[in-house]
Amino acid sequence: MKRFSGRFRSSLIIGLQGIRARKLRTLLSMVSLFLGVLAVVVVQAGASIAERALLADNELTWGYDGTRVIDMPPEQKAVDAVLAAVKGRSDAVASIGVQGIIGEPGVRPVNEGGAPIGQSWGGAVCYPDGRCEEPTGPQGAAIEVRLTALTGDIRQFRPFRPVSGSWLDFSTVPSMAPRLVLNKEAAKGFDQYDVPAEMRVNGAVANLTPRFVGVVDDGTGEPRAYVRADELATWLPNANLVNPNMGGELRVSLAPSSPIEQVLVAKLKGMGVEPYVDTINNREEQEDQLRLMRLIFFSMAGLVLLIGVAGILNVGLATVGERVEEFALRRAVGTPRSLLAGIVLAETLLTGLFTAAAAIGASALALKAVVLLAGGSHPILDNVQFPWEAGVAGIIAGIVAGVLGGFVPALRAAGIPIATVMRA
Amino acid sequence: MIELTGVTKVLKGQSEPRTILDGVDLSVAAGQSVAIVGRSGSGKSTLLSVVGLFDRPDQGRYLLAGQDISRLPERRAAKLRSSHFGFVFQRFFLLKHLTAAQNVAMALVNGQGWLPRRERRARVMQALDQVGIAHLAKNRPAKMSGGEQQRVAIARALVRDPKVLLADEPTGALDTETGTLVIDALLAATSRGCALVLVTHDRDHAARMGRIHDLVNGVLTERVPA
Ligand SMILES: Nc1ncnc2c1ncn2[C@@H]1O[C@H](COP(=O)(O)OP(=O)(O)OP(=O)(O)O)[C@@H](O)[C@H]1O
Ligand SMILES: [Mg+2]
Repeated sequence: MKRFSGRFRSSLIIGLQGIRARKLRTLLSMVSLFLGVLAVVVVQAGASIAERALLADNELTWGYDGTRVIDMPPEQKAVDAVLAAVKGRSDAVASIGVQGIIGEPGVRPVNEGGAPIGQSWGGAVCYPDGRCEEPTGPQGAAIEVRLTALTGDIRQFRPFRPVSGSWLDFSTVPSMAPRLVLNKEAAKGFDQYDVPAEMRVNGAVANLTPRFVGVVDDGTGEPRAYVRADELATWLPNANLVNPNMGGELRVSLAPSSPIEQVLVAKLKGMGVEPYVDTINNREEQEDQLRLMRLIFFSMAGLVLLIGVAGILNVGLATVGERVEEFALRRAVGTPRSLLAGIVLAETLLTGLFTAAAAIGASALALKAVVLLAGGSHPILDNVQFPWEAGVAGIIAGIVAGVLGGFVPALRAAGIPIATVMRA
Repeated sequence: MIELTGVTKVLKGQSEPRTILDGVDLSVAAGQSVAIVGRSGSGKSTLLSVVGLFDRPDQGRYLLAGQDISRLPERRAAKLRSSHFGFVFQRFFLLKHLTAAQNVAMALVNGQGWLPRRERRARVMQALDQVGIAHLAKNRPAKMSGGEQQRVAIARALVRDPKVLLADEPTGALDTETGTLVIDALLAATSRGCALVLVTHDRDHAARMGRIHDLVNGVLTERVPA
């Protein structure tokens, strides 16, 4: 080991001497390699940033990886079973979506059917027998939202991003005036239309007067409002939660190892409700989307890198040709071939590493500049850090290029006959 | 110290093999000096390259300090070159980018890496001192005269305390006076017990060696003093 480290050190020291003696050549090698390593760093940085942004979006929309999700048709008996099962649990949250119209009483909402604000889905209501009814009455200052009643804090499964105000507080005693948190799309509607704070919910005993406490980004494009299930229950008895004509959603989100999953699924099946159980796995699904893209970009970067390697190789071979005497002399004074090869390899390796450092520094600076200039206008650029994966990729690219570009010159150098010193 | 018997070196050219060294017998004891003279192309450098373990003989026996080293794997040859031999060539072969001291220190690199810095420096300075140019230690070759450069090269050869010093026309590129200084430095080494083999075209330099051998077409004969 000592012997190895001694050799390794000598190679590095002598290699460094060689680099210092040929600064211009080293610079030329670096220039030829720079674009290649830069391409690798940039592609890796882009891939990492895109991957993280995509993952964050997917987590927002679908939930954290590993979350178990049980969806089922919103039948009354299923609702009862679910509410009973999640009661008092912190590792399971039920969400029940119902239609809610907030605004002037007696008018049709501006986005009938809960369409995104500014779009119209038409307000026709179709019944299971195929009969459709065009809505009647005047359209007015009202907004239809999907009102989602939560039995617990869903953010342990989906990282809603706060936009303004606060999130629902599940630790307090339920309030008589239900507190509502809007998503961004719903908030947009309230911004555009002057809507009174009165809410109609099908099946409710009276119109509600909700209190809006905050706005979140929940990753969905339709207007939604979140409410504590127990606060809604004051006005809307559980028995009236589901309306077969209005559709709705019933979902339970569970921590990966929640013990109630099996019990609940068995119970639902026993009642003739078919639950659809799924595990959130954004990374895997993303992988499929990203794989081809990454393959294409890395192939291109690899090609540019290869050109850079050819540059190093070219300079390296020329240098060895020039240094025949030096290498022959080194062998004459007893430097073993392996050390000689090591010296040449150390030079290209160090060149590769210097280039990697330059490329990493350049792209980190460029990223900083882009974030500084364009940040704010592009949410994807908010808080973007230079991904460490890109640094690692750059260093690996530098090492690979150094080894590839130095290998042949190293063999050449080791093969120079000593007698050269006598014939020169 | 070295003892060659019947050493033959055949060059396998494209057409027919050429015998460059033909049954060379040569023995040099510690502290002895030998001059090899001969016409250009007679094989003097080839002989030195066999003695210096750059190359192996095709036939014959080569003993170094009583040990047979006629057929030596390259790895061990490199070790012996560094531990037992010092070389000086007609061209000085100093590395331009290194100082005189660094050029000398270069010979201290072997398979084991470098000596500790302090010891390295002491030995380098001692070697430079032996050839009388310790004051030039920090100069680069470009700033030195030919004679000074050659003495740096000799210091490089001496720094490992070689048992055998091999010099291939070390004065070929120098004027007579400077050449004499160089030969002085080489002979000084023999007084410390080093064996010296000097290839030279210069009669005066040859005459200062203990013995003179003539190499004619690969055949070595000792010249009987007149
Ligand atoms: N690698 C080689 N390939 C072909 N021929 C060679 C090679 N090495 C040496 N020779 C031949 O071997 C012969 C001896 O060469 P060598 O260099 O030993 O001569 P020398 O006595 O040192 O000559 P000089 O006084 O000019 O240095 C020469 O004829 C040379 O052409
Ligand atoms: Mg010669």
